Amino acid sequence: METIPGGYEDLIELEAVGRSHRAVRFDMTHGDREDLEAQHYHEPKQRNSWSSSTQRVLSSMPSRSIRWNQTAVLSQNQSRSTKTRRRRRAPKPVSTTFSAANRDVFRERKTCADDVTQDEELLNKLQDLPAGESVRLLREMPLSVSKKREIRALCFSWELAQPLSENEALFCHRFQACFLKVLCGCWLGGLSQKKSIQLWQKVFKNISARFGTGILSYFIFLRRLLLYNILFLLINGLFLLLPQISNPQISNPQIPDPSPRSPSEDEHTYLWMLTGTGYLTDSVMFYGHYTNSTSGNCQAKATECSHYNIPLAYIFTIGTGMFVTCVMLVYRMSKSFEKSFCTFKATGNLALKVFCSWDFKVCRKRSVKLQAVNICTQLKEMLSELSCRKKKRNLCSTLGWLSVHLLVWSICLLCIGACMMAVYYIHPYLEQGGSMPIQENYPVHLLAMPLVVSCISHLLPGFFDKLSKGEDYNSPSVHIYVSIVRNLLLKGCIFCMLCYYWHTKIDDAEKGQKCWETFVGQELYRLVLMDLIVAVLHIILAEFLWGMCIRNFTFRRRKLEFDIARDVLELIYGQTLVWFGVLFSPLLPAVQIGKLFLLFYFKKTSLMTNFQAPRKHWRATQMSTVFVSLLFLPSFIGALMCVIYTMWRIKPSSHCGPFRSLHNMLLLGKQWIVDLGGSDSSLKWLSFAYLHLVDNPLFLFILAGLFLTIIYIHMQVLDGQKLIIGRLQVQIDHEGEDKKFLIAKLQALNEASALSREVSIWAFL
Amino acid sequence: MGGTASKLPKELLSEYQELTFLTKQEILLAHKRFSELQGRENGPYGSRVSMEKILTLPELKSNPFRKRICYVFSTCDLGDGSLSFEDFLDLLSAFSDSATLEIKSHYAFRIFDFDDDGTLDARDLEKLVNCLTGETDDTRLTAEEMRQLLNNILEESDIDKDGTVNLSEFQHVISRSPDFVSSFKIVL
Repeated sequence: METIPGGYEDLIELEAVGRSHRAVRFDMTHGDREDLEAQHYHEPKQRNSWSSSTQRVLSSMPSRSIRWNQTAVLSQNQSRSTKTRRRRRAPKPVSTTFSAANRDVFRERKTCADDVTQDEELLNKLQDLPAGESVRLLREMPLSVSKKREIRALCFSWELAQPLSENEALFCHRFQACFLKVLCGCWLGGLSQKKSIQLWQKVFKNISARFGTGILSYFIFLRRLLLYNILFLLINGLFLLLPQISNPQISNPQIPDPSPRSPSEDEHTYLWMLTGTGYLTDSVMFYGHYTNSTSGNCQAKATECSHYNIPLAYIFTIGTGMFVTCVMLVYRMSKSFEKSFCTFKATGNLALKVFCSWDFKVCRKRSVKLQAVNICTQLKEMLSELSCRKKKRNLCSTLGWLSVHLLVWSICLLCIGACMMAVYYIHPYLEQGGSMPIQENYPVHLLAMPLVVSCISHLLPGFFDKLSKGEDYNSPSVHIYVSIVRNLLLKGCIFCMLCYYWHTKIDDAEKGQKCWETFVGQELYRLVLMDLIVAVLHIILAEFLWGMCIRNFTFRRRKLEFDIARDVLELIYGQTLVWFGVLFSPLLPAVQIGKLFLLFYFKKTSLMTNFQAPRKHWRATQMSTVFVSLLFLPSFIGALMCVIYTMWRIKPSSHCGPFRSLHNMLLLGKQWIVDLGGSDSSLKWLSFAYLHLVDNPLFLFILAGLFLTIIYIHMQVLDGQKLIIGRLQVQIDHEGEDKKFLIAKLQALNEASALSREVSIWAFL
Repeated sequence: MGGTASKLPKELLSEYQELTFLTKQEILLAHKRFSELQGRENGPYGSRVSMEKILTLPELKSNPFRKRICYVFSTCDLGDGSLSFEDFLDLLSAFSDSATLEIKSHYAFRIFDFDDDGTLDARDLEKLVNCLTGETDDTRLTAEEMRQLLNNILEESDIDKDGTVNLSEFQHVISRSPDFVSSFKIVL
């Protein structure tokens, strides 16, 4: 390398050179001065304009050496682990020899001594950590497997022939990891993440290969719902169904079915599965069948009996099921938020799009081509958006835009209102004066209301979408959110209307000595089934038949496009019904499981046959977060509120079910806890805890205050971190300026010395 | 290929399990597929499969980055992109479900670094964009659009303003995208 000229005069010269180059960007193309604010980078000429010696120096900069990156990973991990907190010095800029495939420019500059030192340092660090930690660290280093094996062998001083399982520490660590994995996998619902339970994995791979991650997210959502339902069913089955079934000697007063089996009912029993009446009415399917006594297991002469209090079990089982679902939902939501939360405000998204948008899972040739076309279109759109400013609207067009939006919204709201009226009045229209159609002459009439509701919830969102095509939105994501809001509003209003209708029927039921809980359970059962039937019909008619028409009879032979948002909202709506209905029909999750299975296979077949890969980019992670939040907040919390209200405020029917003698269902739980305090010594603390903590407003107030304090502290910490980030950004900018200055100076020096060498050669000659 | 499947020794299998992000089933599947590519039955560990054969895998066949992937993961001195079994495991591990963001972004950076100089300069970025938009003429960006795009990318991601994107800057950009981890996946 050329020697740096010493001397005071040279320093001044360098200063002058440096000053003149300070304002220049890094495209040192023959003295072009660019405006600092314009921020234009020339075509890649900068490398050619640098002299080879400058280039050599640049190539061996630490930030460009792969080795530096590897040790950076190591130092990151070290600062995380509690064992060693040594700050790693900036390593010497040496090319790596760890993987011979790094055909770096500066390969010929490697020095063996440096490599050995680096290796030794790495080994020392790994040996300092416990066995499990070091293996984990090694796994996370971007080295090749062969090199990792060498390091690991050296690190643990094993002979290569020794079986690995003999190492105790490693074995313990692996056992611990396995145990934790199984525990977490079972209870935290990480179905899609853990490798042990993998339902439909091959199918998912096919789907993602053809259609990408966006459409896959719908099927992953479906699988997750399946898991929640299976868990709920297990809990209900173990603690409610089995005890009820296994004690047939408990005399169950018949639920008041006023008329005996009439001949007309016998004729219509083939519909019992669909309407939930007939055989199912007095079965474990519905609330009315459950006994209100304790099933006992008393031996002949034993003084103590093991009692199983079915009403208490009813409350606690449903409560536990809801609690477990809640925990799993919150966990899933927190994981999604963690993934999709952007800490930094993006100044622009082009870099993000270029670096992150290629979906490597897509492997079919046509889909790859389609993806390339998509990305190209999106890049062009983003570039054109950036180049032309946002179009300013004058008064006329603003008014026009507003009026179109208002029109569409008013049509939507009117439709929703009309549907609510329809739902409310269809029953009286069919009953024509009767109070509750439990004993009916026309069981088909029972199916009318669920049919209407399902048709509305399937067809009307499509109508809203067609309407909204005339609207003009600023961005496609706003469009999606608006259609989601409309869809949700529709479904929410219908659900509220149904609840209100059932609420008005309770008094009538009490007068008629009927079991209103079983009635509501049957209605929900019918709703869930009808939803499935209409969904399947919709798939067959609107997707298969219509898709076939489009494919064969249109000029361009295009296929349909999958509307992810609408289908996910359908799933959410169905799940809301199940969560609300589980109080009245403990086996409803079983129906939902069957429905989800069927829906999965129908949708998958339809997708493969009738649909094409999406043309618009779907932000899968962000939308998954939105959907999980929607599943939690309006759907689960809404159903939970309704269940709690029912248990707390509404008097259970006095002729059937486990709570027939009580004023409300929760009283039983309260009574039991208070009794516990009086009688049994081992659970006295529970009663004490309940009376003084849960029932005590002061304690709840203190708890709420504590949570608010913690939230406030976290917010302040976040603010502080933002401040630090701002300062670090400024510091990095300064460092960048320094770097530019130094490289410019280096270039100038090299040019000057090259020139002086030329001059000296000429002088010699 | 053939009736008797060659078996990985148990110690080796568990060692691979610990050093990569793959599960046992995935390693065994990789072993099976690699043996099929080799057309041999026993012990593919020592020998390498040429790049052309690797590129016949359906997961890689149509990927525009397939050659870069082979070059990055290959430990062959000749630099011909041939992979040994352990290189193949490396590949699958980096592209697997449980690989960390750091590993994925590290390898993504190396794949996008077409000239292997440790940074992404404008030339690398241009090649990257061409790979993304496809090789056909109607999907290429015009020269003006390309220039604007490169400017914008460097403006957004070049923190220290040296005209190139180094690994830390790349990782900084990647961390803003929640979709990267799920899209940087290849599953056999």
